Amino acid sequence: MLTFVVFSVRRAWQGFWRNSLMSLAATATMILMLLLLAGFWIIQTGLNAGLQFIEQKVEVVADLNDNAPADQLLQVETTLRGMPQVASVTFVSKDQALQDFRARLKARGQEDLTGYLDTNPLPNTLEIKLKNPQDYGNVVDYLDGQPTVVSQVTPIQNLVNQVVTVTNFLRTVGVVVLILVGLTVLFIIVNTIRLAVFARAEEIEIMRLVGASDAFIRWPFIFEGAMVGLFGALITLVVLAVVATPLQEFMYGFFRVLPLQFGTLVVRDLTLLVVGAGVGLGVLGSYVSVRSYLIR
Amino acid sequence: MAPGSSTGLLRHPTLAGDRPPETTSERLVLALRDVAKTYPNGRAALRDVNLTVPEGDFVFLVGPSGAGKTTLIKLLIRDELATAGQVLLDGQDLGRLPRRQVPRVRRKVGIVFQDYKLLPRKSVWENVAFALEVTGTPGRRIGPAVDRVLRLVGLAAQARQLPTQLSGGEQQRTAIARALVHDPRLIIADEPTGNLDPLISWEIIQLLLRINEMGTTVLMATHNAEVVTALRKRVVGLEDGRVVRDEVGGAYHRED
Ligand SMILES: Nc1ncnc2c1ncn2[C@@H]1O[C@H](COP(=O)(O)OP(=O)(O)O)[C@@H](O)[C@H]1O
Ligand SMILES: [Mg+2]
Repeated sequence: MLTFVVFSVRRAWQGFWRNSLMSLAATATMILMLLLLAGFWIIQTGLNAGLQFIEQKVEVVADLNDNAPADQLLQVETTLRGMPQVASVTFVSKDQALQDFRARLKARGQEDLTGYLDTNPLPNTLEIKLKNPQDYGNVVDYLDGQPTVVSQVTPIQNLVNQVVTVTNFLRTVGVVVLILVGLTVLFIIVNTIRLAVFARAEEIEIMRLVGASDAFIRWPFIFEGAMVGLFGALITLVVLAVVATPLQEFMYGFFRVLPLQFGTLVVRDLTLLVVGAGVGLGVLGSYVSVRSYLIR
Repeated sequence: MAPGSSTGLLRHPTLAGDRPPETTSERLVLALRDVAKTYPNGRAALRDVNLTVPEGDFVFLVGPSGAGKTTLIKLLIRDELATAGQVLLDGQDLGRLPRRQVPRVRRKVGIVFQDYKLLPRKSVWENVAFALEVTGTPGRRIGPAVDRVLRLVGLAAQARQLPTQLSGGEQQRTAIARALVHDPRLIIADEPTGNLDPLISWEIIQLLLRINEMGTTVLMATHNAEVVTALRKRVVGLEDGRVVRDEVGGAYHRED
């Protein structure tokens, strides 16, 4: 068994270097395809993060009565936090709301007329973020049932439906494009490896004629495919690392709203994706290519 | 399997006359019984072939191009399957052999081709060692075995050279060394001298004769009339897929 593994790995290594032109072509194809795959995956991830952010903007806002009893208000907040659909509950006082309003006017360069008011017309509010924007029903029902505390719940039904329709559509498009790119990459890599194996059909024939078992013929090629995949993946990762900073700036600029931990998450998943796809496709390509020479 | 045209029940009288005896005290390395081979395209390459080869024999397989010599050899190493009849190699029915066991049975046969089939990027030594490596022989046994067969074929001095640096005769001797390195029961050579000039051809034949004297059975397909006639060994003649003669001490052409 050990003899077999040593043999296969050694032959894979020899096979790779002795047929350097074919190996190089296969590795280059692998790199290009992995870059393509990684590129589309990054776009898809950015798109998803952006869509999620947009969905999180959707929140239920409850205007509160100015004279709501403090203990009942606390009770309402606690109940809301306990609801499984709720991501967060924020109390915004009327003073805070006025300040925010003034800041927004100033940012837009509009004239601030609020100074002419003698009382603050804005209510205290509760801003309730939902884990899934479509789960607003129970929350709104509950708030409607608290008339001593809640004066009014902003109706959000139409907004939610529109946003979710658009985001779901974009998500589906993203997944479909990623699958199409994945299939293209699969097809091209498998065919490149098929060519590389074809170039060594004579070697396989000799192995069969001298009585090599299928395993002895197949495994060196599978290891070699894995090597092509691994080399390709490592070089792809180096290329991605080089373009990472400008790319990240572009991503933040393009999607604007990416969460801060986006970078690290992408690095981990992207490494797994590139190495996994490289090695997996290399192995798969070798397996199917050699198979056609074995079946008789 | 390819569609068979022959049922195997309908027997034509064999032109060779006497059938070889079914039971002998000798051990049979090869036995073909009513073998037919029709290729998937409908071409009948072999019909009603009966042939036995006892251990230690030296057999010339002769016949014009297209007679079915190569097809017969492909059946013997189970590169193709007979469409009718039985092919027994060392007592094993190749038609019933599970696919997994084919490699093990192939190691009982050493095969040599007209075009040598050497790996161009491997040295003589590596080409021969390759046959042992790919069949899982432990490394410590490979070196001595390769050195032994290279001495036997007279290539010890050229062990490190690449095939492209060798003459045709030396390349063919490398192929013979590779065929021998497993200690096969049978060496099959398909026109091994087809690409060689007469003098070198004689060297190759003499090498095969020596291997045969050391106890290995040899079956050699050839066009080389001079050699066949001179040596007066057993001659099996194929024509149009049929065995037309099987004589011990025969010449290349029939002597009526
Ligand atoms: N793979 C094949 N498919 C179809 N016909 C074949 C195939 N191989 C050989 N033949 C045919 O079978 C006949 C015998 O061929 P072959 O065994 O190569 O003869 P030989 O080696 O005596 O020259 C020829 O007519 C040849 O065209
Ligand atoms: Mg032939």
